[in-house]
Amino acid sequence: MATKVLVVDDSAMSRKMMIRSLPEGWDVEVSQAANGKEALEAYHAGKAEVMFLDLTMPIMDGYQTLEVLQKEGLDCFVIVVSADVQPEAEERVKKLGAMAFIKKPVNTEKVTEILKEYGIL
Amino acid sequence: MSISFRTVSHLNEDQRDALAEIVNIGMGQAGAALAQVLGEFVILSVPRIRLVDSQAVPETLAELVGAETTVSAIRQPFHNHLHGEAIVVYDEHGCRDLADIMGHDECTDERVEQELLLDIGNILAGASLKGVGEQLQAEITFSPPSILATHVPVERLLDPEALDWSYSLLIEVNFTLEARRFKGHLLIMLSEDSIDTLVRDIDAFLESL
Repeated sequence: MATKVLVVDDSAMSRKMMIRSLPEGWDVEVSQAANGKEALEAYHAGKAEVMFLDLTMPIMDGYQTLEVLQKEGLDCFVIVVSADVQPEAEERVKKLGAMAFIKKPVNTEKVTEILKEYGIL
Repeated sequence: MSISFRTVSHLNEDQRDALAEIVNIGMGQAGAALAQVLGEFVILSVPRIRLVDSQAVPETLAELVGAETTVSAIRQPFHNHLHGEAIVVYDEHGCRDLADIMGHDECTDERVEQELLLDIGNILAGASLKGVGEQLQAEITFSPPSILATHVPVERLLDPEALDWSYSLLIEVNFTLEARRFKGHLLIMLSEDSIDTLVRDIDAFLESL
């Protein structure tokens, strides 16, 4: 069965880059969200087994999204994809339950490496 | 000028989105550099983009920074592939907080204050321009930073008559420190002719995706 992947980013271009960076041959069903609020809606609708989550977004940012997910008992593999490359940003999101952190700009190699590391691929 | 209006109308949704993302990545690197120097966690804002007649630059700055804010600022001109100015604007808390973090007792000494503003401004402007240039695969060189003004109302920070171009692209991101009142704004202001170059670069970037 296809893995349900949710790509969350306020930039349409960034979502496109992310989707194009997904490894070839990975059987996925991709949904998109432009902010944390939309992401939670998609998550509640069962569209996110794996979530690629941006941090800096309007309406509801990545940190806030992770907080809600954590409170609800995170049932999703979250990979943060961020331009905010402070080491502390990575520490914080991991404390909030994110499994991995990818620095923007993304590419297939980075994404593949992470997915393999966690046995998703 | 007809050329600039053509450019303005051509900054479509995709180009605007791409520009914001490119800037976001550049500013992210600047934020990390700032965090490292200050040893504090930096909160980055979503980039804001404004295309304005240069006469409207002061009021646009006021809109982005907050009307009637008293500010100090440094400028760092850049040239080569793209031509314009990087401007780092600090509010009144900015200097005091910086002095405190960097271990100075007070921000009363004007020389110390100016050095701090220049050093931090240089880090922010340098890292962000480098980040933007890398993504566009464009070479951007910059001149050393200088003080633009200290303790002036934001409305008086820039004299539009001093700009030698009639249309400006303003891109703003702000940096706040979690535990303090510090707020710094980084603005990249592009000249009219560079807007055309940038739009071509963005199109090439989008096509390469």
